[in-house]
Amino acid sequence: MLKKSGKRILRSPVTMIGIAVLTAHMAIAALAPWLTPYGSSELAGMPFEPPSREFWLGTDILGRDYLTRLLMGGRITISVALCGVFIAIVAGAFFGLAAAWHGGMIDEVIMRLVDTKVAIPSILLVGVLIPGFGQSVPVLILVIALVYVSGVIRTVRALALTIAPQGFVTAAVLRGESNLSIMCREFLPNVLDLLCVEFAIRMSSAILLVSSLSFLGLGISPPTPDWGLMVSEGVGYIHTDPWLVIYPSIALSTLVVALNLTTEGVANALGLDAARGMTKG
Amino acid sequence: MFAAIARRISLSFLILILVSLFVFLATEVLPGDALDVSLTDDDLAVLTPEQLAEMRAELGLDRPAAVRYLSWLSGALVGDFGNTIITRAPVADIIMGPLRNSILLALATTAVAIPVAHFIGILAAYWRDRAPDTIVSTSAIVGYSIPEFVSGNALILIFAIWLPIFPATIVLYTDGPILEMLAVSILPVATIVIGSIAYLSRLLRLGLVEALVSDYVERARLAGVSEWRVVFTHAVPASLVPTLNAAALYVAGLLSGIVVVEKVFAYPGLGLELINAVLKREVPVVQATVFLGAVGVLLMNLLADLSIIALDPRVRRSAGRG
Repeated sequence: MLKKSGKRILRSPVTMIGIAVLTAHMAIAALAPWLTPYGSSELAGMPFEPPSREFWLGTDILGRDYLTRLLMGGRITISVALCGVFIAIVAGAFFGLAAAWHGGMIDEVIMRLVDTKVAIPSILLVGVLIPGFGQSVPVLILVIALVYVSGVIRTVRALALTIAPQGFVTAAVLRGESNLSIMCREFLPNVLDLLCVEFAIRMSSAILLVSSLSFLGLGISPPTPDWGLMVSEGVGYIHTDPWLVIYPSIALSTLVVALNLTTEGVANALGLDAARGMTKG
Repeated sequence: MFAAIARRISLSFLILILVSLFVFLATEVLPGDALDVSLTDDDLAVLTPEQLAEMRAELGLDRPAAVRYLSWLSGALVGDFGNTIITRAPVADIIMGPLRNSILLALATTAVAIPVAHFIGILAAYWRDRAPDTIVSTSAIVGYSIPEFVSGNALILIFAIWLPIFPATIVLYTDGPILEMLAVSILPVATIVIGSIAYLSRLLRLGLVEALVSDYVERARLAGVSEWRVVFTHAVPASLVPTLNAAALYVAGLLSGIVVVEKVFAYPGLGLELINAVLKREVPVVQATVFLGAVGVLLMNLLADLSIIALDPRVRRSAGRG
């Protein structure tokens, strides 16, 4: 099964391009602080310097080396998305399994809360939380978790409902196993594939959301180097220095495209459907 | 069937109440009330405790949370969202114009996106797993992987700066005439359309492909019906239900996209109003816009589900979905 899937991935050039670009992005994000001699907030030169041997991509509005900021610009977004989505996956798996297994009142309450969350578009959800909770990285992570947990609950619950009536679950119940043990030993192994695909899908969507929020001024705060933030800082100078907008845009887009192409390719090879779950949020 | 419809409508209403509770709790019952979050440290330094208490009483913030929630909800349900904290203007008056502009943007986008997405989705499903499908599916992934603020700025750069055809920002007033608004909104609409088409056409292709491998389609093929006819008379109607099922997610994504696009183009809509209100901590405006956004999603979702009840006899008989 795995061998066959691997072959199918290798045969798809689009997926291979996705994996290559994704790997490059991850390597850059991991190594960024050691790739250039400047600090990301260091005022290394004069503002708006053109590209030179000192500053390969020139400097930004404040005179910071743009290449340094560009290489660093994905780290915070990726980390926030990673933490937020991880919490969403764990919590979503728990509540999704609980809803499917217990049914009745617990199911009803969980699903109505999910419906409530789904009714509020993600950027609006963030907007309503910021005045009270403030704007910081921990809040942002919890917000991302809240945004994505509902989708995970729904998919996990739907799959768990098809697992529940199967023989091995009934056998476990008859053996007198506890609910927790049934969840961990009978359900979890069977939803793990799905959780991996969910993780990848939500991850790309979360990266888009975090950078959109930063662009709107509701996400990561300056002076952190962040692609969404860099676009919003550069947009005022788009007539004279369009590169300030173009570079971070390209960096962000290539990352998300690569991530989605990889997810699609791997999900296809595993025989899962990625399209249904993909949303812009 | 009427039982199913009644059940579905009451469910929407229940969720609307839960949304209102969430919006209220998220903004009001935290440490510090609406006044605290709106005032800056400078304001607090100047104001005496008596003045603060007076302002609090004037805004009704001295009442218990449950009373405030009920009075806010009863107002919100009839379109009265109270007054803003800083200028004391009625929130309803402030958001009326932007609301109209945002609805205009949403309608224009949907009017373009749905037919185009159907066209693309049908082509991809007809040539499934062959070159046209691969091209369409891959471009769709690229299309919705690019955030609106990137595609919007790219369109500005290309069609407003390098080739000065369209305006880069919307310079109209909030209550400009509808036709003038539409004329200058081509780039904002195009920006959201890119993502919407990518999402919808993928979804449609998936629904169509599933329908095309089903037994009754196979039967139609065996009866000698041509493939195009099979697509249009069997697969398209069958894919309608899964597509309608995704309506809530589509509308929610559309509204989030609209917020970003309004910021990119300085389009005077509800999204821009929301961002400014969040940054100014103008809580009543935030509550109103988020509540209205949720009303929009719930309404569209309700319409979609009612159409499903009307279309699908299985759902009709089972008296609504869980």
